[in-house]
Amino acid sequence: MKQAKLILLLLLVACFSLATWLQPLHNSRILRTETSGNVLALLLGDARKMFAQQMFAKADAYFHRGNYPSIFDLTQHHEENHMAGESHHAAGEADHDDDDHDDALPPAHDWIERFGRHFYPTIHLHLKDGEEREMLPWLRVAVALDPHSIETYAVTAYWLRERLNKVDEAEEVLRAGLHANPDSPELYYELGRLFYENRKDSVRTRNLWVFALRRWHEVEDTKTVPQRVLLAELLGGLARIERQDGHKAAAIDYLKQLQAISPSPEQIQKQIDQLSATQTPSL
Amino acid sequence: MQTILETKKLRVEYRSRELKQETKVALKGLSLRVNAGEVFGFLGPNGAGKTTTMNVLLGYVNASAGEAFLFDVNVREPIARQRIGYLPELTYYYKFLTAEELLRFYAKIFGIPKGETEKRIDQLLKLVELDHARKRPIRTYSKGMQQRAGIAQALINNPDLLLLDEPTSGLDPLGRMKVREIIQRLKNEGKTVFFSSHELGEVETICDRVAILNQGELKIEGPVNELVNQYQCNLEQLFLKVVGYQPQV
Amino acid sequence: MNKIFAVAGVVIKELYRRKDFYVLFILTVLITLVMWSARFFNDDGIVRALKEICLMLIWLSMLVIAITTTARQIPFERESRTIFPLLAKPITRAQVMVGKFLGCWLACGIALIVFYVFFGLITASREHTLPLVQYLQAIWLHWQMLGIVIAMTLFGSVVFTSPAENITITLIITTGILFIAEHLHKVAERMTEPSATILTVIYFLVPHLEFFDTQKLIIHDWPAIEWRFVGGASLYAAIYTAFFLLATCVIFRRKALN
Repeated sequence: MKQAKLILLLLLVACFSLATWLQPLHNSRILRTETSGNVLALLLGDARKMFAQQMFAKADAYFHRGNYPSIFDLTQHHEENHMAGESHHAAGEADHDDDDHDDALPPAHDWIERFGRHFYPTIHLHLKDGEEREMLPWLRVAVALDPHSIETYAVTAYWLRERLNKVDEAEEVLRAGLHANPDSPELYYELGRLFYENRKDSVRTRNLWVFALRRWHEVEDTKTVPQRVLLAELLGGLARIERQDGHKAAAIDYLKQLQAISPSPEQIQKQIDQLSATQTPSL
Repeated sequence: MQTILETKKLRVEYRSRELKQETKVALKGLSLRVNAGEVFGFLGPNGAGKTTTMNVLLGYVNASAGEAFLFDVNVREPIARQRIGYLPELTYYYKFLTAEELLRFYAKIFGIPKGETEKRIDQLLKLVELDHARKRPIRTYSKGMQQRAGIAQALINNPDLLLLDEPTSGLDPLGRMKVREIIQRLKNEGKTVFFSSHELGEVETICDRVAILNQGELKIEGPVNELVNQYQCNLEQLFLKVVGYQPQV
Repeated sequence: MNKIFAVAGVVIKELYRRKDFYVLFILTVLITLVMWSARFFNDDGIVRALKEICLMLIWLSMLVIAITTTARQIPFERESRTIFPLLAKPITRAQVMVGKFLGCWLACGIALIVFYVFFGLITASREHTLPLVQYLQAIWLHWQMLGIVIAMTLFGSVVFTSPAENITITLIITTGILFIAEHLHKVAERMTEPSATILTVIYFLVPHLEFFDTQKLIIHDWPAIEWRFVGGASLYAAIYTAFFLLATCVIFRRKALN
């Protein structure tokens, strides 16, 4: 009897110890769950980033109407993501057209490859005239799988507002991106683009880009190799807005900052000179 | 008299991993003859070679030496089985088919025309008393019903030779009676019946001739009444004598 | 031929009396309908992702149906001993084998039509068109591919000891062929000898099932394939199917029945 009681006591102690060890682990898991916020993150764990990349590539494949290199081809020739590339350009400036591509595939190795080419898409074409909507499900899933992929939000918002005329939905995407990534200057920049290019609201655009610029300095200034492309876009955009609103001094100031990092400073200097020449003389 | 079934010095050897690749001789030069219109009983203890003989006749197994013929056609030709019906010991039929579908399937294999097929199906299902269950899948049948379905499929092509492997095994007395009646009816129609059985009383009653096999060899063959008279004992005692049974007491 | 068709008929009856097909079809319908009801960014016109999901489910289901139905045939006949009363009839083993193949293939063809009719209805509800020629080509080529897979599985059923083994191996091989067979020669280029040669030989020997996969063309609304290439692919399928069937018949002829 005494032995049984002793064993019970020992078991009780063991259970209590296990519980005290497991409880913090469980709490931190809940925290991580709340952070990731969706079923996919729970199910897939860190592999979701890999899946998110696959979904993003899938959207690009859809952009090319199914004509997409396999991983075996990709390791041979690095292929750019055209769908993402277009989103970096200003409104109306396409990265390239279908016609810009050399449609000829490399010669087939053998009769099997030659024959097989009749059963899948081999012509380089892009979606257009509203067909770009077909990419949306994959972009949506990519965003859900990896809420911290800034590019996905930016690309999704671009296609929604620029080609599909879904400005509200684009804004929703960017705000969701900012909710998951509040430190991201890129998303503030993209939101500013939305207000500038689609809502024609230069006041809000300016506010967003100024804020983005501030965030950029906070994030990038500490880095040994700061990401300058976004900085250039922000400075160029702000200069453009200030010039449009007649704030030439502010515009020149931004242009001078841009000149410091531009690979073509003489082009920027020309713009500064033009602006200076039209500036009203001080009394 | 026409010879319906004939084996000439049939020899069957098996080699298997279970036997450690040693050769087991299942049949040692079996020569047998069954004439038209006979009811022939094929007897022997377990492992005597009865099933092997059946397997050779049905084309499941090739003989290592010797030959076997059905209606003067070598058993290796599928056409040799055109005029035979086979009833296996256990019910090996597609459980998801109904009795009707099963008979129709086998009739198609025999090449029986559609109209004739439907007529025969009706007749046979009535004969084996499965008319009420013809549309039910065979998996819902009792053992007795499955056995009766087996009899029906064995008769679908109106065979001239019926090969029965333990036809009354597992049947109740009523079922056995029905099988005996069917065999008698076939005999009256001039058909030949070749069956293996352990029910020696039954064999003695219905068979014209018997053969007793032991350890792959044919020990004795002849008309039942002649053998019984010759050895002055019944078939069971003759069987025990032939297989070399020594009573312990 | 009547005997072969008789055996085929039994196989078809077996398929539609088992639950496999219905379960997979209902699953496909449910998942597709869930996708169909989903709205991405308030856009009702999105259809290609729906097509892709539906086609992927169809391909998966048909592979499972084809391989599991076929893998069961001969082992089931031997296990349940229904092969004995069958071969006691005037029918050869080769006829049984061809009948089994035909039955599985026709059964898969019927299942394929049901799946693709559903697919056509779903996509037509969004696209408001029905590219009939492309869909017919897709069904035909898919069916040809299943012929090769069924013949391969039948071959496996006389080579492997259990249906489970056969199903697993055939599924892995078929999936492998679908995903990577067309790229083997590219991989071989980057390898050293003798691996490069072995891989190249495999590349030329395996049946290239990607010839029959027109999913991308259907999903992205590409025009129909020229009929001469469809004919060429059909001939290719017939050759491989015949090869596997012949090999199966040769092995089955010598196999013990129990």
